[in-house]
Amino acid sequence: MTQQHSATVLDQIIEGVREDLETRRAAVSLEELQRAVAQRGPALDAEAALRGSEPASVQVIAEVKRSSPSKGALAEITDPAELAASYERGGASAISVLTEQRRFGGSLADLDAVRAAVGIPVLRKDFVVEDYQVWEARAHGADLVLLIVAALDDAALRHLLELTHELGMHALVETHTAEEVERAVASGARIIGVNTRNLKTLEVDVHTFGRLAGAMPQDVVVVAESGVLGEEQIRLYAGHGANAVLAGEVLVTSDDPAQSISRFREVGALARAEHLDGATPPAAQAAFAAAQVAGETAQGTASSLREAPGPYFGDFGGRWMPESLVAALDELTETFDKARTDEEFLEEFARLSRDYAGRPSMLTEAERFGAELGVRVFLKREDLNHTGSHKINNVLGQALLARRMGKTRLIAETGAGQHGVATATAAALFGMKCCVYMGEEDTRRQALNVARMRLLGAEVVAVTNGSRTLKDAINEALRDWVASVDTTHYLLGTAAGPHPFPAMVRYFHEQIGEEARAQILEKAGRLPDAVTACVGGGSNAIGIFHGFLDDASVELYGNEAGGDGVETGRHAATITLGRPGVMHGSRTFLMQDTDGQTVESHSISAGLDYPAVGPEHSYLHSIGRVKYEAVTDAQAMDAFQLLCRTEGIIPAIESSHALAGAREVAANWVRELGPEVAAQKIIMVSLSGRGDKDVAAAAEWFDMLPQDSHEERVAQKGEQL
Amino acid sequence: MSTTGTNATTPATLTERIVPAGLSRNGDSALSRRIEDCRAQGRPALVGYLPAGFPTVEESVAAAVALGQNGADIIEIGIPYSDPVMDGPVIQAATTKALANGFRVADVFTVVRAVAEQTDAVPVVMTYWNPVLQTGVDEFARRLAEAGGAGIITPDLIPDEASEWFAASEAHGLDRIFLVAPSTTRERMNMTVGAASGFVYAVSVMGVTGTRDQVSSAAEDVVRRAREAGAERVCVGLGVSSREHVLEIGAYADGVIVGTALVRALGEGGPDAVGRLAAHLAGRE
Repeated sequence: MTQQHSATVLDQIIEGVREDLETRRAAVSLEELQRAVAQRGPALDAEAALRGSEPASVQVIAEVKRSSPSKGALAEITDPAELAASYERGGASAISVLTEQRRFGGSLADLDAVRAAVGIPVLRKDFVVEDYQVWEARAHGADLVLLIVAALDDAALRHLLELTHELGMHALVETHTAEEVERAVASGARIIGVNTRNLKTLEVDVHTFGRLAGAMPQDVVVVAESGVLGEEQIRLYAGHGANAVLAGEVLVTSDDPAQSISRFREVGALARAEHLDGATPPAAQAAFAAAQVAGETAQGTASSLREAPGPYFGDFGGRWMPESLVAALDELTETFDKARTDEEFLEEFARLSRDYAGRPSMLTEAERFGAELGVRVFLKREDLNHTGSHKINNVLGQALLARRMGKTRLIAETGAGQHGVATATAAALFGMKCCVYMGEEDTRRQALNVARMRLLGAEVVAVTNGSRTLKDAINEALRDWVASVDTTHYLLGTAAGPHPFPAMVRYFHEQIGEEARAQILEKAGRLPDAVTACVGGGSNAIGIFHGFLDDASVELYGNEAGGDGVETGRHAATITLGRPGVMHGSRTFLMQDTDGQTVESHSISAGLDYPAVGPEHSYLHSIGRVKYEAVTDAQAMDAFQLLCRTEGIIPAIESSHALAGAREVAANWVRELGPEVAAQKIIMVSLSGRGDKDVAAAAEWFDMLPQDSHEERVAQKGEQL
Repeated sequence: MSTTGTNATTPATLTERIVPAGLSRNGDSALSRRIEDCRAQGRPALVGYLPAGFPTVEESVAAAVALGQNGADIIEIGIPYSDPVMDGPVIQAATTKALANGFRVADVFTVVRAVAEQTDAVPVVMTYWNPVLQTGVDEFARRLAEAGGAGIITPDLIPDEASEWFAASEAHGLDRIFLVAPSTTRERMNMTVGAASGFVYAVSVMGVTGTRDQVSSAAEDVVRRAREAGAERVCVGLGVSSREHVLEIGAYADGVIVGTALVRALGEGGPDAVGRLAAHLAGRE
């Protein structure tokens, strides 16, 4: 769009606004409006509402918006009052109502309906150019009006602002450039918005906010407008010091706007806290937030999501690795590429999967558990595989490849011990040496699995560096591999790390999803409505998702470890709260500080206690195909107990996160669709492992250990919760 | 975005696929010239590594300055990182301590500036890539150049993933010091040498940092293969701890890199001990 042509967009809108204004003035005189204003109680204090009570909090202005000039019609809003009420329930601090009718499809009737429905400040969002509109806003109950600096000269801006304040309202004074910020400040504005949408081109540049926010006076409330596609942009704006963020389209089109707002406030508060500590949002995060808005991450989306070969999944993946290991990665890539088209290899892998691991794994309908949730639940029983989890699939595949490459020693990292046990098992089966690295903290949490690995002939090395958990075990395994790569294969246990691991590990787990899809079609006669799986690195999840990625009707949920709660900082919710970076060989979401130092993760589940995630999950998140949600320790343990008692199945604590995820999905359906409709819905849960290894941890959690005093345990649990 | 897998439909060589055409070799950069000067004097360049912020930012400045004033030609300032997969126990312990003492990535520029202003040594930064990525590759490069730094050694960034770094290093006149290893294939050696500038960092052994009694004979082979691929300046690192190593490696390489031994000296005897070890390694005692 050329500048000359588009410079008239605002002019054209205002021309229409003036015409409509005359029509209204002919029907309702200024004096009538003034009488109506006199009848109204005082306006709510929007400035205080947008500033919030906590310094490190970010407020959300949630918008009721039917259409926009840049996108056209957005959503059919049949009941703006109900939408606004849901915004308020979600924790919005103010509601913005578009009242411009020609381009935005709004009306004063929408404003009236919203005003009657909510008890928080309401913004009349329109193109205010005359006193009449300010009186009109107050007469219809608005507490806040929008004044666009670009549409007003200095005198008009100052005058309209003064009138707004005289009527007890506040104005959101909207700017687009540094010069407009100066004019806004000079006019006496107390709430200044930065609209990242360029008025001339209508394009959004999210970087605009950071550039202008730095020039704001300390005492001004700063509001970020436009470009909010999701949490990434909230993080960016809040990380540059936004007090409040205006979100419209993303909420109007959301399935659950209340939940979105609550998440925005959560991630916003964390980013703003970093801002208050003097940090600026990392460049990689800003670039990702901008690319999302520009739609770059969606580019190259293949018609099928099931065949992604690596090394890159959108912007994620690759090989961020020392040169010393590249030759080994190349050899592995080549061996894997040949093997997957080699009948002999495929037959041997299928034979081992069947005769040794026990595939296909069953699909069990969990009727009593499902009845508790109010939906039908099917469990994909990877817990019944040999060694007790899905891990054996990948281990058998990679051990076969190691043998093809002439390697005689396997090394592995392990968190919960499931992958270590599986690797030790394969090493015994193939007559190879085996060394498993395990964080010291995890050897304590999973003592039984340590003994199991040693029984199988493996050496277990307790890693005492860093957080002494899974990530440090991976570091130590990589150090071993650099020195031993001639004879040793690093049997990475999750769909993360450098190429070819993410694509290769997924390949060996694809059978989970393929079996599950065929089994549910046979048992239920249709596809499930949702699939849930726990995500640490994400290998069982990518395996089961693979079967359904191209089935648009199937909602996919990745359940990350929320630990003590994402708001506490003690969690492992990498996608939910992390940002893009590189670690352990791939570009992916990480839990990291603004310097790029990895932040330690926390979870009751050793297998999910990892501050990164497989790159394909980062990609599926970036395109919105899979929803990643955090499940706290407490939610996971409740689901653990429920499955034990309703189905006679003791799940791994990792898998219990997927059970709890299913519970959330089910609760939403019951609430939104009613119990009868919900009862017909089907959720498939990836029951990735069994809970034998977790018996001690669960007994401790539920205070079932007789030798300990009850009081002490209750107190400990109180702290954990 | 580059790819690291082989692609049968692309006829071009690995070098053509990864290294941008017309990338400068910086033959007359400060770093290159210093190594050439040493060569003219008939000796290898002495390259010393110390992490920034260990044990504190102030002491790391003092140690780096002592290193530069006692015979180091080039100083690698390391950025402490939470997940140093290429480092052995001594350097891990040092960088962990630096982080615990509050090191921030921006502190590295303070140390670089001190070396540039107070010594004749040429400062470069050695860093895992994520801290650079989070700072912003171009922004990091700009600030490094401004502080007087000559380039970056990148232990976990291979040219395959370096497109942003190619652009930033060209824009700010910095050298790109990539690593090559005994396991590096001929094709990758050609590509990496083509992507590097200043010098090529030859990893002498397959392993992580740490002193070793003997420097593996593999080192000489890596240097020879790097030269065959067109490398004009090759320095050898990993395992070097004594004057004997320096002389032995200096017979075939253009520079000798010492890390762990210096870090240990700093931990045990402070900046003075670093100065004494540097003088010993440089043959000044």
